[in-house]
Amino acid sequence: MTASPPPAPPAAAGARALEHRAFLFDGMPDFLDTAVPFVREGLEDPDREVVVVVAQQRLEPLREFFPEAPEGAFVAAETFYEHPVRTLRSYLELVKAKNPRSVHALAEPVWREEWTPRETMEWARYESLINEVFQGTRASALCPYDTSVLPEQILEYARRTHPWLVRDGVHVESRRFTPPREFSADVDRAREFPTPPESEYLPVTGHDLHELRQWVGERADRHGVSGRNAQNLVTAVNEVAANALRHGVPPVGVRLWTDGADLVCEVGDNGYWRDFSPLTGFVPPQTALDSGFGLWTVRLLVDLVDVRAGWDGTFVRMRVSR
Amino acid sequence: METLSSVRRPVRELRPGDHAWLAYSGEDEQRHVVGSFVRDGLEAAHKIIYLAGSDDVDVPGMHGVRARPGLLTVVPLADARRPDGGFDPGTVLAALTGEIAGAEDGDYTTIRVTADMTFALDLPGGLGELLRCERHIERAVCPSTRVTAICQIDRRRLSADARTALAATHSTFVTPNPEFADSVLQIVRTFDPVGLSLLGELDASRHTVLDEALNKVLGASRGEEIHLDLAGLGFIDLGALNMLADVAARRSGTGPLVLDRMPLQLRTIMETVGWHMLPGLRLGTV
Repeated sequence: MTASPPPAPPAAAGARALEHRAFLFDGMPDFLDTAVPFVREGLEDPDREVVVVVAQQRLEPLREFFPEAPEGAFVAAETFYEHPVRTLRSYLELVKAKNPRSVHALAEPVWREEWTPRETMEWARYESLINEVFQGTRASALCPYDTSVLPEQILEYARRTHPWLVRDGVHVESRRFTPPREFSADVDRAREFPTPPESEYLPVTGHDLHELRQWVGERADRHGVSGRNAQNLVTAVNEVAANALRHGVPPVGVRLWTDGADLVCEVGDNGYWRDFSPLTGFVPPQTALDSGFGLWTVRLLVDLVDVRAGWDGTFVRMRVSR
Repeated sequence: METLSSVRRPVRELRPGDHAWLAYSGEDEQRHVVGSFVRDGLEAAHKIIYLAGSDDVDVPGMHGVRARPGLLTVVPLADARRPDGGFDPGTVLAALTGEIAGAEDGDYTTIRVTADMTFALDLPGGLGELLRCERHIERAVCPSTRVTAICQIDRRRLSADARTALAATHSTFVTPNPEFADSVLQIVRTFDPVGLSLLGELDASRHTVLDEALNKVLGASRGEEIHLDLAGLGFIDLGALNMLADVAARRSGTGPLVLDRMPLQLRTIMETVGWHMLPGLRLGTV
């Protein structure tokens, strides 16, 4: 271990800004050469709180260097990265809980081979959102990407979602970096909205949504979604429908169908959501009083939310696994 | 306290033949329930017989009501004592029977009787005599087609055994009128702890009624914690949480809003978003 910590990016004078870097490594020795000094730097700084979330195979070899480090500081990434919006929430809670100390995180996202390109894209969006959500928190994040196994597409996402790259101990600006709003818009553009072959439809007319909840609950049950997942779907659909009734233009309706292992439920209305942005509902509110609490919570409650805000209407598609 | 054989009934749904009991937790609850009973009775031109420990009683429900003269009779029970100072149910029963007989001669469709029996507990052998008295009243009222009765007693003065025994002498357990009730949602005031109990489902179409009910409770509160009993709530929407957070924020500096007995649906939401999203709200009993 001869490498020294990567030089810090040229930060603005005064308060430290968020440091979000992709660490592109090739093999275990290369990983340790940069990861060990990074973790040590955080442990030695009384103003920082170290969090290590890396793949199981790298967890133990890294931990061996820090026998004195607190047990809870080392977490297997496989248990931490299960749902992008929830992971973002958990990191934000961590940053708040450790304040005034700043979080110093070695944070390796999990990329699963069985994912669809769309799922992979949502995790790339998550990496991009880090820049938006944690700006001004003084947090420092080094995100390892294993170049020996990850496909080029994911490495390309890493370059687009991190303002800084670390490779062979060298710290460089990422020329491919794309600001979060723009990146998120790109993700949204790449989505597809195939019309379901068969679906059920319920027009929503009155403001009393009791019938809608019953309708969704019964179908969730029939299609094998039960317990908490069913309740969360009902809560989510109720929220989106209430918003459509309040802010949208009639007719408001709910369409429901199954798509492989998923149950999909889409609320549509004829209104044009003028101030919709690709970041809407992704940036956590401060409290339930902030606007955006509803859609953010909906994103947390179900597996995936897609909003299409076009001239032909506003459609919010919610997906839960069966 | 309820027993297996008793029926819970809001005060406005009491019917002739009901011998109900109200074990109030304090003056607020007593005045709330008995006030409804008296006021509704006066407005419907029912005869009201109010048995009280003394004759200078401030009868609840009279405020702002212009009653026909003669509708209300207050019967002081200061004389309901045996020569040895003990409680004499005979005097109570005689007074009651006399008043009911008098009222039946009048042109009243319904006779509403209510008595605060707490004073009897202070007299020697009071509880035993009170139980005998209650059994007599139960036998007198239940078959009646004209008499509705509420027996009031200060719950704080009763042991658990005494409460069970007294409850067993009543067929009905009276509750406050709901602040709001329709086929989907019911909101009922609670007094111990102070707050509201919600039953049914709460969504955007009923935020206003909850807001109104909450404001009434807050207006009457003295800065204590306000509890929401949510055990009977099958659904709550995110907008309602936003509203509760807003109410909590407006009363910052006083006691928090406490959510008691949260149903699973709400617990899941809270675990998902985190309690810090709702400052001023607190998890109560589970």
